[in-house]
Amino acid sequence: MSAAEATATRPVLEIRDLAVHFGGVKAVDRLSMRLDEGRIYGIIGPNGSGKSTLLGAVTRLTPLTSGEILFDGEPFHTVHASQIAAKRIARTFQTVRLLPDVSVRDNIQLGADAARGDVDERRGWWARNFGTHTSPAVASAIARTRLGGFEDYRPAEMSYGTQRRVEIARALALDPRLLLLDEPTAGMNQRERGEISTLLKELRDEGLTQLLVEHDVQMMVDTCDYVFAMNLGTVIAQGRPEDVVRDPQVQEAYLGKKFRHA
Amino acid sequence: MLQDLLGALGLASIYLLFALGMSLTWGTIDILNFSHGSIFMFSAFTAHLLIPYVPMGFVGVALVCIVVGALMSLLVQVVAFEQIIKRARNRNTAERQILIGGIGVAIIPLAIAQEVTKSNPFGFIDSGFEVTTWTFMGLRGTNILLITLTAAAALAVGTAMWLRRSRHGLALRSIGVDSEVSAMMGVDRRRLAIVTMAVSGGLAGLAACLFTYTLGAITPESGDTLLIKAFACIILGGVGSTGGVVLGSVLLAVTETVVLTRTSGLWVEAVAFGLIFLVLLVKPSGLFGRKEVRRT
Amino acid sequence: MSDFYAANLVLIQSTFIGILLALSVQVPMRAGVFSFAGAGSYGIGAYVSAILVLKTGMPSLLAILISGIVAMVVGLLLGLLVAHLGGLYLAMATVSFDLIVSVLAINGGDLTGGVTGLFGVLSDVTIFHLIGLALLGIVGVALTERGRVGRRVDAVRDDPELAQSVGISVRRYRLAAFVVSGLLGSVAGSLNSLVRSTISPSDIGFSLIVLALTMIIVGGAQSWKGAVLGAVIFTWLPPLLAGFGQLQHVVYGVIVATAAIFVPGGLYGIYSEARYRRTRAKRKPPQGEAPAHEQALAISVPNGDAGRSA
Repeated sequence: MSAAEATATRPVLEIRDLAVHFGGVKAVDRLSMRLDEGRIYGIIGPNGSGKSTLLGAVTRLTPLTSGEILFDGEPFHTVHASQIAAKRIARTFQTVRLLPDVSVRDNIQLGADAARGDVDERRGWWARNFGTHTSPAVASAIARTRLGGFEDYRPAEMSYGTQRRVEIARALALDPRLLLLDEPTAGMNQRERGEISTLLKELRDEGLTQLLVEHDVQMMVDTCDYVFAMNLGTVIAQGRPEDVVRDPQVQEAYLGKKFRHA
Repeated sequence: MLQDLLGALGLASIYLLFALGMSLTWGTIDILNFSHGSIFMFSAFTAHLLIPYVPMGFVGVALVCIVVGALMSLLVQVVAFEQIIKRARNRNTAERQILIGGIGVAIIPLAIAQEVTKSNPFGFIDSGFEVTTWTFMGLRGTNILLITLTAAAALAVGTAMWLRRSRHGLALRSIGVDSEVSAMMGVDRRRLAIVTMAVSGGLAGLAACLFTYTLGAITPESGDTLLIKAFACIILGGVGSTGGVVLGSVLLAVTETVVLTRTSGLWVEAVAFGLIFLVLLVKPSGLFGRKEVRRT
Repeated sequence: MSDFYAANLVLIQSTFIGILLALSVQVPMRAGVFSFAGAGSYGIGAYVSAILVLKTGMPSLLAILISGIVAMVVGLLLGLLVAHLGGLYLAMATVSFDLIVSVLAINGGDLTGGVTGLFGVLSDVTIFHLIGLALLGIVGVALTERGRVGRRVDAVRDDPELAQSVGISVRRYRLAAFVVSGLLGSVAGSLNSLVRSTISPSDIGFSLIVLALTMIIVGGAQSWKGAVLGAVIFTWLPPLLAGFGQLQHVVYGVIVATAAIFVPGGLYGIYSEARYRRTRAKRKPPQGEAPAHEQALAISVPNGDAGRSA
């Protein structure tokens, strides 16, 4: 935890009094949170508690009704959805989203294409746009997610869990400062979940800030440094994962049934 | 002035009968059928071919048109659209392939009719039904105009009631709103789609019969023009709304009549295209649109 | 060979014009923009070039260039106007655009020659101009299917939201598709009126849209190769079908309909699918990993398409 503690005073992402309303529905309301550098944050909450809307707002796909989002201390809510990659924010999606007709390598390269400061920058404009090379970032992302051997596969040939890893690899190839993971282990078996948890913690120790939306409480407890519990569009509890899952309010809102299973 | 209005209403009725069928399939089973125009034309063409051999009268011609239209539409559904939906990766590609498939299928009846008529206009000469003219309070009209107005009004009301009241209509509307919900309700989507397509084709057939009698003759290509105009009527009112199609048809016909009588040249053809553009830019959901327009 | 050339000159010229027309519809389709505006740009190119050459005696290539620029500007404006539309709505808006162009041509008075159109557009366009411009078009479009740009176009088409998340301005790519389509369509139209020395509104109506679309349906929209294939087929097919006599148009219709229904990727789609299957069969499964299909069986979460379409 030393890396996390040393940098605990520097917020990477700060959300102040955020509200996202759809007509009369307050999907997110009066929500504030602060993500410090080099830690893994988790968001738990029942379906419809506003987790996806929050992620949508942070990735700039959903317009804010009011409130502020700051990234690196700078106002973030004027940034267009297609510019968040340039700010080195990477994300994965709730349902796997890969290009169906291209290989795993090219899917991951799509993330590296967005990266700045890559060796690609030194190439000429022509080679960068029309060259058929593969970036070094792709090879390292493949190695980290243990996708070696799958390079030429297309998504439909692989299991759901493997497809999820390709998504994570694509996000890593972007060389992110903040990684947003939307249910990254859904559809994975126990062994794969463990592997992902280990990978995320390794990345954390290298200083990568992560925000994880997850249903699997055990995964959250194993992986996250800090957890926000959401219900009805706002944060109802936050703190160390072990403490949050024991919070009576949280248990009532979300874990009531599930916690006894866990 | 009143005379022009009567003419415009007659035109609106033809547009309505044609557009009603298209609107029905688009609004409920998500099929924008681009072979509707070809089906329209070919049903009248079949009646045209049969007339020398079988004395039919008006009712006979109308029945032939309706039956041929319904059968062709049903055939297109089973042979083309069902196959496309089966193979499509998702809803967007299905929608796209259905539009393209419809255009592709439409080439066949068009080619047959063009081949036989050498692209000349054809009509219902010696069908045993004579178009007669009447005068009432200074207004002139024909018997076919009265039939057209009545049929359009009756069928618009009928379609609206059918959609609103009947079990079938309920199921159709639930498909239009949410196909998953309707699947849970135990709606047999395939059978419903076929019935809807057949009804839609029947409406095209009736429109073709009345249109041909009104004009005296139509060309094999006349379905193409009507197709775009019907699209204009539908989106003007809003996809999925019967009242919207009625309003759209009247609006288009009246605007066209005004343009035709007030301007020289051939600008009348531009009205429908211009309206489509305008509606899509300003209010894509139409005046009474129920369905949300899916955006990019 | 020169006998063949002389006998089929019209078809050879049409082939290169057809290739550019097909590309003007294939480019937006590949980027996921369901636009038929290429046919309208063809009309713009055909008329602007014809008018420029006829009224000012301008050199052909300059006329082609100017009408190309006009069509690109119109394409950009159209793209901005319809930017918020998707799917069928976009398709129909662009069809309306095409037909508005033809109505303008009909009502253009002396400038466009009204219903009869323009005649006697004498120009110095040779077969080498045709080949050169078509090649230029092909190379340009082929480039957009390579490397980073190619991947990004794929992403814009298959999943705009994903594309944005990896830093692609979907809006800019879509607008670019309109502009490129405008240029390609315009050059095709210009060449047509300059080579044939005549243009009339009946050349640019609904049937032109259907022709461009049939080329893409049968050839395949995923690549320039499909567009070229489709253009060649539908330039040479009608004369070949003449053997069917009266039935030729019906046979033509059956071919298009069959392709539209059963071969959504067109002939190029069949080819690329076969090539993919071949490489897939040769390849060994990755070591140390359970074969993918065995893993997939153990997991109940729906795979692939269901997830994507949600």
